Amino acid sequence: MAEVILPEWLKGREEAPASLRAGSAGFIERSLVNFASTMKRLYVDGDYSSKKGALQAIEPRAKLAGFFFIIIAASLAHSAVFLGGVLVLAFALSFVSRIGPGPLAKRTFPAFVFTSVIVIPVIFGAVTPGREVLDVFGASVTGEGLRSAGFFLVRVAAMVSTAMLLSLTTREADFFRGLGRFVPSFFATALFLTFRYAFVLIKTAEDSALAMKARTIAGARAVESRTWFAGRAALLLKKAYGVAEEVGMAMVSRGFDGKLKGAAARALRGRDYIWLGFASFVLFLSFGA
Amino acid sequence: MSRVAEEVLGAEGVSFSYGPAPALSNVSLSVAKGECLAILGANGSGKSTLLKLLDGLIFPSAGCVFFEGRPITEEALKGEFLVRLRSGLGFLFPEPDVQLFCPTVFDELAFGPLQLGLGAEEAAKRAGDLLRMLGIEALRDRPPYSLSGGEKKKVAIASVLAINPGVLLLDEPTNGLDPRSQVWLYELLLSLRGHGKTVIIATHDLSLAGDLSERVLVLDESHAVAADGPAGEILKDKGLLLKANIIHEHEHRHGDVVHRHSHGPFSTHDEHD
Repeated sequence: MAEVILPEWLKGREEAPASLRAGSAGFIERSLVNFASTMKRLYVDGDYSSKKGALQAIEPRAKLAGFFFIIIAASLAHSAVFLGGVLVLAFALSFVSRIGPGPLAKRTFPAFVFTSVIVIPVIFGAVTPGREVLDVFGASVTGEGLRSAGFFLVRVAAMVSTAMLLSLTTREADFFRGLGRFVPSFFATALFLTFRYAFVLIKTAEDSALAMKARTIAGARAVESRTWFAGRAALLLKKAYGVAEEVGMAMVSRGFDGKLKGAAARALRGRDYIWLGFASFVLFLSFGA
Repeated sequence: MSRVAEEVLGAEGVSFSYGPAPALSNVSLSVAKGECLAILGANGSGKSTLLKLLDGLIFPSAGCVFFEGRPITEEALKGEFLVRLRSGLGFLFPEPDVQLFCPTVFDELAFGPLQLGLGAEEAAKRAGDLLRMLGIEALRDRPPYSLSGGEKKKVAIASVLAINPGVLLLDEPTNGLDPRSQVWLYELLLSLRGHGKTVIIATHDLSLAGDLSERVLVLDESHAVAADGPAGEILKDKGLLLKANIIHEHEHRHGDVVHRHSHGPFSTHDEHD
């Protein structure tokens, strides 16, 4: 093997130029790392689904159907009191499911904050005309606008907390298995694989951000960060394509022929019927609310 | 085309390319039932592609691949032959994250048997037996993506064994395994061989190839077969292994003495300048 000849500058150790100042991570890198950690915290951390709670004991099909009824009820209702009731119900159920309000609130909060931001225009008279209650730098805030925004926020909080309660009390496997009983199993499998491999890609994106951090001393300029992000996005797309192809092969090599065959679900029991009856009753109430 | 009577897998003049880049060039081989073949080659020499072709996951652009004497073509892969091939061949991917796509470890082990129509009870029995055999019962309900690298590899191997294939196609099986897990894998493969399984390994691991295989096939950097013969002979052919970029030499000093030696089965300090 030919001898490796090192360039002169590589033979010694040199100090970084005195003018170089350490910079902080750019907005894009910070956002990426924060997004990855939020996703992991929301969907992976905390094993509440294996606790011996009331909702955890319900058969996945029945649980999924019941929560679907309650979410439909929350989307149909026109009464803030009813929606408040659904919100209270979700938090009450978090107690009997041995989760408690903290973890549920933590998972509902980001959606609540996001919605709060997007409903801001609704409170102004230009969007929702009505009786002016406040003047903000010349723009009038109307009572009707505040009511509409508040109502929308309560609806979102009720629906998101119910959906989060379902995700917290249901093992990922049971959720997709239950879903596969209602929709064609191919769709449930595709959805599961999307969810499953999103984490592989998030991990790749996170590692890319860390790799850049490891080689960055002075902070990267915004334009460099954008170029880097575009390059990483292209890499992720390519990797997603490669992974999809390989996963397809891995499924085929173990006998998958386009039709997914699964084990039979257990029969519904008394508590499953009680839950379904209760959820149906909530849905029934929403028609008059 | 007539094939050797005891041949379980074979290839005749097989070529394959990814777009303009050739991956395999005119490769022929024949693997007998119960044989253990190691496919050696540098990165990008076409080892993984050859295994995928043998498993009927991709199809050659020229030549033909055979399973139990029947050509594996897109047209032929249906009905009874498809079931026979899928239940007869088990493919281990080098990257466990690709292979493990089910919600839990148990589902992962039951997936293959269920797809092959073995029924829920038999699938559950096989999954339970494998969990016990590999000592991973505690992982039964864990999502595979939450496991460590070594655990993922064990589950990936178990997911292949659940089908109980007669032929194991293992792509870099020791990839990412710590030394203890490598020994465990070696002993598992030895035991499987002892029970008549055919094992085909694509690897860089010369010690695994030497310890386990009686035959070695070398792919060179032109994606063609550089050699195919008894492991004892091939692994002693330093010139061949150097040419195929499977081993390399390097030089270092002990005081005034310069050692020049290769890595792999020739890693001895007896080649002084």
